Amino acid sequence: MLWLNLLINGLIWGCALGMVAISFSLIFATTRFFHVAPAAVYSLGGYLAWSMMKRGAPEWVALLGAVVACGLVGAAIQKLLYERLDRRGATHLVVLIASLGLAAVMQNAIAGAYTSNVLQFGLPWANRTTSIGGALLTNTQMLTVCFGVLSYLGAMWFAHRTLLGKRIRAVASNPFLAEITRLEPRRVHIAVMAIGSAMVCIPGVLVPLDLGLQPFGGVPMLLTATIAVIAGGVGSISGAFLLALVIAVLQNLSLLVMPGEWSIGITFGIFIIFMLFRPRGLFTG
Amino acid sequence: MSPYLDVTGLNKRFGGLQALSDCSFKVAQGRITCLVGPNGAGKTTIFNAITGFLTPDTGHVAFRGASLDGLSPQRVVRHGIARTFQNLRLFADLTARDNVVAGMPGHFGEEPLGAIFRPFRTSRALAGKRAAALEVLANVGLADRADALVRNLSYGEQKLLCIARILATSAELLLLDEPTSGLSGAALTEVMALLRRLQAEGKTLLVVEHNTRVVQQIADEVLFLHQGHLMAQGSPAEIIADPKLAEIYFGGAL
Amino acid sequence: MDFFATYLALAEIYVLLGLSTNLLVGIVGIFSVSQAAVFGVGAYITAFLLMHSSTPFPLAILVAAGLCILLNILVTLPSLRVSGDYFVVTSFGIQLLGTAVFTNWTKGTGGANGLPGVPAPIILGHEFIEPQEFLLLSSIGMGLGCLCFWLIMRAPFGGLLRAIREDELAVAALGKSVLRAKVSAAALAGAFAGSAGGLYATFLSFIDPSSFDLDASIFLLTMVVVGGARTLAGSVLGPFVLLALPQILALIDIPASFAAALRQLIYGLLLIVFMLFRPQGLLGERL
Repeated sequence: MLWLNLLINGLIWGCALGMVAISFSLIFATTRFFHVAPAAVYSLGGYLAWSMMKRGAPEWVALLGAVVACGLVGAAIQKLLYERLDRRGATHLVVLIASLGLAAVMQNAIAGAYTSNVLQFGLPWANRTTSIGGALLTNTQMLTVCFGVLSYLGAMWFAHRTLLGKRIRAVASNPFLAEITRLEPRRVHIAVMAIGSAMVCIPGVLVPLDLGLQPFGGVPMLLTATIAVIAGGVGSISGAFLLALVIAVLQNLSLLVMPGEWSIGITFGIFIIFMLFRPRGLFTG
Repeated sequence: MSPYLDVTGLNKRFGGLQALSDCSFKVAQGRITCLVGPNGAGKTTIFNAITGFLTPDTGHVAFRGASLDGLSPQRVVRHGIARTFQNLRLFADLTARDNVVAGMPGHFGEEPLGAIFRPFRTSRALAGKRAAALEVLANVGLADRADALVRNLSYGEQKLLCIARILATSAELLLLDEPTSGLSGAALTEVMALLRRLQAEGKTLLVVEHNTRVVQQIADEVLFLHQGHLMAQGSPAEIIADPKLAEIYFGGAL
Repeated sequence: MDFFATYLALAEIYVLLGLSTNLLVGIVGIFSVSQAAVFGVGAYITAFLLMHSSTPFPLAILVAAGLCILLNILVTLPSLRVSGDYFVVTSFGIQLLGTAVFTNWTKGTGGANGLPGVPAPIILGHEFIEPQEFLLLSSIGMGLGCLCFWLIMRAPFGGLLRAIREDELAVAALGKSVLRAKVSAAALAGAFAGSAGGLYATFLSFIDPSSFDLDASIFLLTMVVVGGARTLAGSVLGPFVLLALPQILALIDIPASFAAALRQLIYGLLLIVFMLFRPQGLLGERL
C-alpha cells in the first residue's frame, strides 16, 4: 500500500504547495511582474514563528503573528521597492533582477541570523497521529489540509465576493482602464502583495513543523508553485490549486520509481510538457 | 491574369466579436488603395491577417498568384509585402539609420559565425547596408537625421522613418497603417508627397486612412469597411458622395 | 604574487562567463539564472575528459563548449514558444535541475564532495600548473571571448539582437527570424559559458556543485549588473570588481560560516541598489 501512502502524502503536500500557488497567482495576475521575493517571505514566516515560540508564545499566536508580520513585509516590499522601480519606468527585467536581489538578501540575512543548519520546532503534538479511514495522519498534516482548503475557499470568496477582490480582478484584467477609473492600482498592488505574502507564510510555518526550518527552501517551492500557476492557467485560482495538487501527487508517486532528489526533474518535465502542448494552461478564459 | 493582391472570404472572431466577416477585395498593382471605415471596422485586423500576424478563421490571401495562407510574418515579408504599425514600433534606442539597416534583407553578418570568422566581409556588408540605408533615408527626407536616436526624433520624423524602414525591405506592396494620423501642416503634406512619389517609383500602397481630405487627394481606389465586411469599393469621389456610407462613417453627425 | 595571479586568472575566467550572461540578459533581454549550471556542465565535461581519457586539453575545451552550445539551445527552445516571463521559470528550473545532477549523480560528478584531481592543462607538452602560467591561458580565453563579442556586436547581428530586445514583433515584421537570432545568441552564450567552465575546472583542479548553483548564478548576474550590462567594458570590469570583494571581506574577522551568507547578502544588496539607482551599472547601458 506504499502507493496509497504516497498519494495521501502528495495530496497533503499539494495543499501546502497550493497555498504558495494561490499567493503567486494572485500577485502575478495583478502586477504582471514575476516576483522571486515571496520565496524568501516563505522562509521568513517559519523563522518568525519559531522565534516567537522559543520566547514562549503559544503556537496559534506565533502563527498569527508571523502571518501578520509577513503581510506587512509584503506591503513594505511593494511600497519601498517595486513601486519605486515602477515610478522610474523600470522594465520587467529590472524588476525581476531587483526581486532576485531581495530574495538573496532576505534568505542570507536569515541564514546569518539563524545559521543555515536545519532548525526543528520540537513540538510533541505536531507529530501525534490520528487514524482516518485507515490512513495515519499527523496533526501537522491535518492542519495543512485544513489551511489549504480554507485558503482556497477564502481566496475564491475574496476574489469574487469582496469589493477589494473585484478591484483586484479589474486591475488584473486592465491596468490602464483601472487607472483612469480611479481604482488606484498602486494601492491595490500593495494590498495584493500584503495578502499574497501573508498567505505564503502559512505553508512557510506548517511545512517546517514536519521537515524543520532551512533558509533556502523557498526557491524550489516557489518554482514548483509557479509551474502549477502556469499549467493551471494564469489568473485561475482553481487551476493553480488543482495543478498544485496534481504536481505534488506526481512528485510523490515518482518516488516509487526514482529517488526523491530527482523530483525537481518531474516538476520541470511537467512544465516542459505544458510549454510544448498547452502554453496557456488548462483553465484560461 | 491573377490580381496583384487577392483577399477572399476572410472571417475572424475574437470571443464574441466578429472582427472580420466574409471580407473580400482585390488590390491592383501600382495604385494607392485606401482602406476606410469607422473605428473597429477591422482595418488593422485585415493588415494583421495579410501579413501573418493573425491567422483568420477562414479565408485566403494571395499575392501575385502565390498563396500567403499560414505563412509567418517574416515569410510574408520575403514575398514582397511589408507593413507599418499604427503605434510605430520603432526601435527607440537605435539610431534612425540602424532602424533602416534592421529592415534590410541580405543575410550576411546576421548570424554569429559569419560575423566572427569573416570579419572583413562583415565590415563590407555592414558598410554597404549603412550606405544603402542612407539612400533610403534620403528618399524620405531624413538624410540629415540618420545618426539621431529615434527617441530624439519628432513625431513626424518617426512616421517617415516607419516608411523608410519598410522600404528597406525592398517590398513591392506597402501596407501603411495610418501614416498621416497625428500630423498636420508641413509634415502632413510631406507624407502625402512621399506616398505619391513611392507610387511613381512603382510601389503599390494599401493605406488605412481616416482623413477624408487625404483620401481624396491620394487614393486611386477606396475600400469602405464596416463591421469587418467590405461595404463598398470605388473611386474616392464615389465613396464620399454616397450618403449611406457617410451616415455610417460619421454616425449620423452629418 | 601567486595570490594576485590567482585573482587575475579567476577574474578572467569570470569575464568569459560574464559575456555569456551579458549576451542573454543585457543584449537580448532574456532573464537567465541558469548560466552557472551551463558553466558547471562545461567544467564537469572537461574534467571528465581529462581524467578518464587521453583527450588533449584544447579538444576537451572544444567538446565542452560544443555540448554547452547544444544544451543552451535546448534550454532556450521551449520558452521561445511563449516569450517573456515563462523563460524565468525555465531558467530557474534548469539551474535547480543542474544542481540536482551535480549533487546526486555521484558516479559522474563525485556528488556533493566534488571532483578532486582535475589535471592541469597541457598544450604542446607544456603543463600549465602555476597560476602565473595559467594566467596566459585565461588571458587568451578572455581575449578570444571579448574579440568574438566585439565582432558580433558591431555586425548586423548585434543590431538585430538589440532590435529584438526592443520589439520582437517589429523585427518579425521586417522579415527577420527572431527565433533564429535568439537561438544563435543562446548558442554563443553556451560556448562562452562552456569554455569558461573548462578553464575553471583545470585551473582549480577541484570542482564541486557549490560553484555552479543558484547562488553562483546570482553572483554572475551581480557581476554583469555592477560592471554594466550591454557593453563589453562592463562585462570586463564587473568580475575584477566583484572578485576583489571576498578578499576585502577576508580582512575583516568574521566566522567562515557567516562569511558565505554575508557575501551572498552583499551581492543581493548590490543587485537591488544598482537596479534602483544605477541600472546601467558602472560602465554599461540602461537595462
